[in-house]
Amino acid sequence: MPKHTTGTREQWLAARKELLKAEKDLTRRSDEVARQRQALPWVRVEKQYRFDTDEGNATLADLFRGRLQLLVYHFMFGPDYTAGCPHCSAIADGFNGNWIHLANHDVMLWAVSRAPLDKLAAFKRRMGWTFPWASSAASDFNYDFNVSFTEEQQRSGTAEYNFSKTGVSDTTGAPHDLPASVGTDWLTYIRELPGMSAFALEDGVVYHTYSAYARGVDSLWGLYQWLDRAPLGRNERGFWIRRHDEYDKR
Amino acid sequence: MARTNGKIKIAIEGGTADHGIVPHDRWLAARKKLLAKEKQFTRERDAINKLRRQLPWEKVEKEYVFDGAGGKETLADLFGKHNQLLVYHFMFAPDWKQGCAHCSFWADHFDAIGVHLAARDTAFVVVSRAPMSKIKPFKKRLGWKFKWVSSGGNDFNYDLMVSFTPEQLKADELEYNYGTGPIKATDREGASAFYKHRGDVYHTYSTYERGIDLLNSTYNWLDLTAKGRDEGDRGQFWVRFRDRYDT
Repeated sequence: MPKHTTGTREQWLAARKELLKAEKDLTRRSDEVARQRQALPWVRVEKQYRFDTDEGNATLADLFRGRLQLLVYHFMFGPDYTAGCPHCSAIADGFNGNWIHLANHDVMLWAVSRAPLDKLAAFKRRMGWTFPWASSAASDFNYDFNVSFTEEQQRSGTAEYNFSKTGVSDTTGAPHDLPASVGTDWLTYIRELPGMSAFALEDGVVYHTYSAYARGVDSLWGLYQWLDRAPLGRNERGFWIRRHDEYDKR
Repeated sequence: MARTNGKIKIAIEGGTADHGIVPHDRWLAARKKLLAKEKQFTRERDAINKLRRQLPWEKVEKEYVFDGAGGKETLADLFGKHNQLLVYHFMFAPDWKQGCAHCSFWADHFDAIGVHLAARDTAFVVVSRAPMSKIKPFKKRLGWKFKWVSSGGNDFNYDLMVSFTPEQLKADELEYNYGTGPIKATDREGASAFYKHRGDVYHTYSTYERGIDLLNSTYNWLDLTAKGRDEGDRGQFWVRFRDRYDT
């Protein structure tokens, strides 16, 4: 057991109330950051992107399915991967329960990856997920939104991730057993990186409103928000997350 | 004609909002400025998480016995083989026909996390006062897999300040959310954390109301959209059971 202070109910309660003030303050700052996100200007999406979906070919506007807003989770699943990234899979376990609620609040949530649709469909079946998942293999979507990188970009060090050229190299500290989990080498593995993008549809025109990467998607990862409240917090060293059907196989 | 520069008006809950439309380079400049604030927020959140871990723990002296799907279980039993236990306090009073729709919304988020938490030495259990005869069919209807036990036969909900007696409801000073939250129901929502060491159980943390806001990732997703949570002043008005939406 970790060394830890224990106290009476009164001592605990006094400390807890003190923390509550800080938590409330943080919640209000979170609301304020969300307001600033909404105040961001939008950019008209000029390029025509093609996606491969269960319903056939689709444009970016088609992905809205009649909603005004579209959220895309950039799921790391490159064409050479043998399975989707385990961390993205853990995030997807969360939004697999969300998307129906979002769809009824005028927001469509999609996962988008570069792997071909049949690979995505087989993996989705294995994991028992229901959210819509499109392949962006046929267009530059992943490259334009800075979640996929070419070998040339890797060689020349010109790839930008999380709004910075150092964003990609920041990921080199990631556990090196991750590539094995998707059946690739390290460089192939990090040709895809995680993120999310938001879009709005007005008068038939699609606007890009927001994108986030790296720890910018931390709050979307419900699992971590729970662990943050457990006695020992995230309490992690190295790569512990497995796809939800793989934990027994360790 | 849609523009690449200027303003457009969009409908939001309870009104309209103007949005600036700019070329990509100007968006990028604004986005990078916001990124600095977001990073600051993430670090502040990390600091709060550290404060949580530094809270003293209180020993749980009372013996709580719950009704589970397989019979009686004590609070210590709920840990299974783990040292940590996270509890979601699901609003489902004994005389209700079904569980709360909003807690169900939260449940749709945490249903899949148990197997991952188990890999972090943490058990995850949902607790309500309703009897198992009501919990079981409701859980089946919504297709959830998490463990759910009834605290109908003990004081657990009252001691953790998520259920209130008629006398408490009449009184002025109530302790929901540490005395800061208004109470309108016999049962309210929350989450609690426990640690087990050599058979002793310690209560480490509890949170209520908007304290569970970050556990609902739909709201965290909506916080990233152009319209935000888009609820006007009618919080969660649009939320239904997942099997009760029209589409």
